[in-house]
Amino acid sequence: MRLYPFQFRRFSTRLICLLLGLLAAVFAAVYLLIAQANKRNAIEHIDQNLKIGARIFRQNLRERIDYLSGNAKVMSNDFQIRKLIMQDPLDRETLRSNLNSYADRLRFNANASPPVITLFSAEREIIAMSVRETTLGEENVNPFQYLIRLAATADMEQASGYSYLAGKLHVLVVVPLYAPYPNVAGWFGLAYPIDTAFAQAIKNTTLLELTFASNPGEPNHRILSTTLPADMAREVLAAKLPGNGAARDSEILNLAGEPYVTLFESLEMLGEEPVTIALQRSLLAELAPAKALEQTVLIISLAALAAAAMAALWIARGVSQPLQQLAGHTKRVATGDYTQRLTLKRGDELGQLATAFNHMTAGLAERDKVRDLLGKVVSPEIATQLLHSDLQLGGEEREVTILFCDLRDFTGMSEKMAPTELLTLLNRYLDRMSTVIEKHGGVIDKYIGDAIMALFGAPVADPLAASKAIAASREMAQALNTFNRELVAEGRPTLAFGIGINTARVVAGNMGSKTRLNYTVIGDGVNLASRLENLTKDPAYDTPIIVSEATLRAIQDPPPARVLGEVKVRGKAEPVRIYALRAKGESTPPYPMVTDLPPTPAVNG
Amino acid sequence: MRQLLLPFIVASLLSTAALAVDTVKVVVRTTLDGKPVADAVVSAVPLDHALPPTAPEAAIEIEQKDQEFRPYVTALQVGATVNFPNHDTVQHHIYSLSKPKRFEIPLYKSGASESVVFDQPGIITIGCNIHDWMLAYIVVLPTPFFAKTDATGAAALPPLPPGRYRLEIWHPRAATPLIQEIVSAPEKAATLEFSVALKPDKRIRRAPSGKATDY
Repeated sequence: MRLYPFQFRRFSTRLICLLLGLLAAVFAAVYLLIAQANKRNAIEHIDQNLKIGARIFRQNLRERIDYLSGNAKVMSNDFQIRKLIMQDPLDRETLRSNLNSYADRLRFNANASPPVITLFSAEREIIAMSVRETTLGEENVNPFQYLIRLAATADMEQASGYSYLAGKLHVLVVVPLYAPYPNVAGWFGLAYPIDTAFAQAIKNTTLLELTFASNPGEPNHRILSTTLPADMAREVLAAKLPGNGAARDSEILNLAGEPYVTLFESLEMLGEEPVTIALQRSLLAELAPAKALEQTVLIISLAALAAAAMAALWIARGVSQPLQQLAGHTKRVATGDYTQRLTLKRGDELGQLATAFNHMTAGLAERDKVRDLLGKVVSPEIATQLLHSDLQLGGEEREVTILFCDLRDFTGMSEKMAPTELLTLLNRYLDRMSTVIEKHGGVIDKYIGDAIMALFGAPVADPLAASKAIAASREMAQALNTFNRELVAEGRPTLAFGIGINTARVVAGNMGSKTRLNYTVIGDGVNLASRLENLTKDPAYDTPIIVSEATLRAIQDPPPARVLGEVKVRGKAEPVRIYALRAKGESTPPYPMVTDLPPTPAVNG
Repeated sequence: MRQLLLPFIVASLLSTAALAVDTVKVVVRTTLDGKPVADAVVSAVPLDHALPPTAPEAAIEIEQKDQEFRPYVTALQVGATVNFPNHDTVQHHIYSLSKPKRFEIPLYKSGASESVVFDQPGIITIGCNIHDWMLAYIVVLPTPFFAKTDATGAAALPPLPPGRYRLEIWHPRAATPLIQEIVSAPEKAATLEFSVALKPDKRIRRAPSGKATDY
């Protein structure tokens, strides 16, 4: 879990986030790549188109020049123009009207503006022009004369160039009037306006926007003609840096918020600043088909995301619902409720898990039952020891304080009482005693009829075992007094017991068969404790509690005790010194105190 | 005695060097490769005395034959009359837009002949409105002293009375006429050699076989 930067409380959230995140990343990457590739392609495509457009534009101009010059040659061989030129004096008005009809005939197409046709003498003097002189002022004759001089000097059959006529951009061509060839008798000057109609014609062929402008980027700039709306054309000019000639590559200009790939071309003029031609194509228009594809990709992506979300939700629910069910059941089992069973009708791993869980619950219920019973049958400590250690036969040697407690004359009493009553009484008694023993950390090893065998320092080692045993025996005595008072109040006979306490190294462990085990201790020390309990019956000792020297020695600060003497123990050469715990009122010693214990080397220091 | 006074004169401007000649023969070659130049008109205008009165010449003929003018170049004195007989089977419509003599002879048929009087000196280019390739030059001169070079590039001027003359050599493909001052002295004959720079021949070549015109 620590691997993830985000922690999800729900599996389904995590699954959805993971799936959708992955898918979204893939789709976004695909979409972006497509969009980027489309844009790059579109720009490249436009760039190519712009360059082709520029060539088409120049080709178109060349065609018009050829068209004009070709027609001028035909014109110059006409009878009537020669006749008119031959007249002396010249009939300029007739010549002009004649040129006018030529101009009409030389319209490039139905939409095109008529060309301007002028006639010059061999000496470059203007003779006539197809438009009124008022429209085409004298200064507009100069570009023609310039071209004629150029053609005459280089002995060319035609010369062409670009210039302004009446402030409008024109392509000019001059052709000699041969009479006959190669004798030049005059010059035809023809001019074709490069106007909006022309730009529109180019646009119709190339789908490109065209703008012609003089002095772009300078305050006195002028849009000569354009296929764009006027304000957009002005933006184009504003973007063009002054003095920046025709660039090799196209650039992207934003016009009215729309990107236009733009190529600037330069048109050399006769004795004037070059005219800038802007060829443009809207990137959005070029991208329109690609956009449709992108839209489709987007829609498909979103649909796929939605489908993935549904699928993820479905899968997550399929997993998380049984998991939640399992979690709920686990909680219930943890609180000890083994009654519920999972019902998952699935054949997959979750189904198997549910079955296993049900088995586990059943197993747990079984074990708990066993443990409960164990706690009742054996003491909780032993039960714990049993549950926590591997059940093994055999055992260990350790120092244990053993306490034996037995009722006096219980056999005689039992004969006088009904069995149920007897058992009730015995159980009440054993319960009181057991409670006291357990309170002091003692472990009930077993009940032997009315006798109790208790262990201190086993199965859990305890350095205070001996003193705890003594404390327990004293409280047991008090408890018996209390119990006796109750019995008296009930009108029953009172009870008396004897306690023997010994501390010794004994063998502790689980003893029995493979199928049935008892945790207990065995050894001479156990027998001695039992014997000490028996000795309490001897009126000479006059004590209900007899403690061995070993027990007193095991206590750091031994309690006052009365020496009872020595007893011979079977299997041991040395007799064992025994003591009675000082009884009430026996404050003065005729008895040696524990501090006066003989300096015999103790069993366990 | 023939004396070669100045073998090569290439200057196109009026020279101050005076030459004493009586009978003058002129040989014209191209500057480029020295080939003889035909159809160059050599004329001499007296500078010291008035032009002699001229007897009216017989009519000169420029025929139209095989849809060409013949001859290509015609030199004549002011006041001369030229006949333009049509010896072709097709009609012609000849014209001139040249300043010294503007005229046209509208469509006239085979066998017909029209005549035109040339009363102003100058170069007149004649063409045909029907046949664009037809071209002829008429050089109208104010002097009777003129000659046209033959295929060898040679032209012999009529005997010149003593005195200074302005010698002028004109050719259709020369950008400007070559002008040289000469002096004519009695009993002296000279052969003058000139070279002129000619522009390429730009006459229209007739399709399909036409008349190959080259120099």
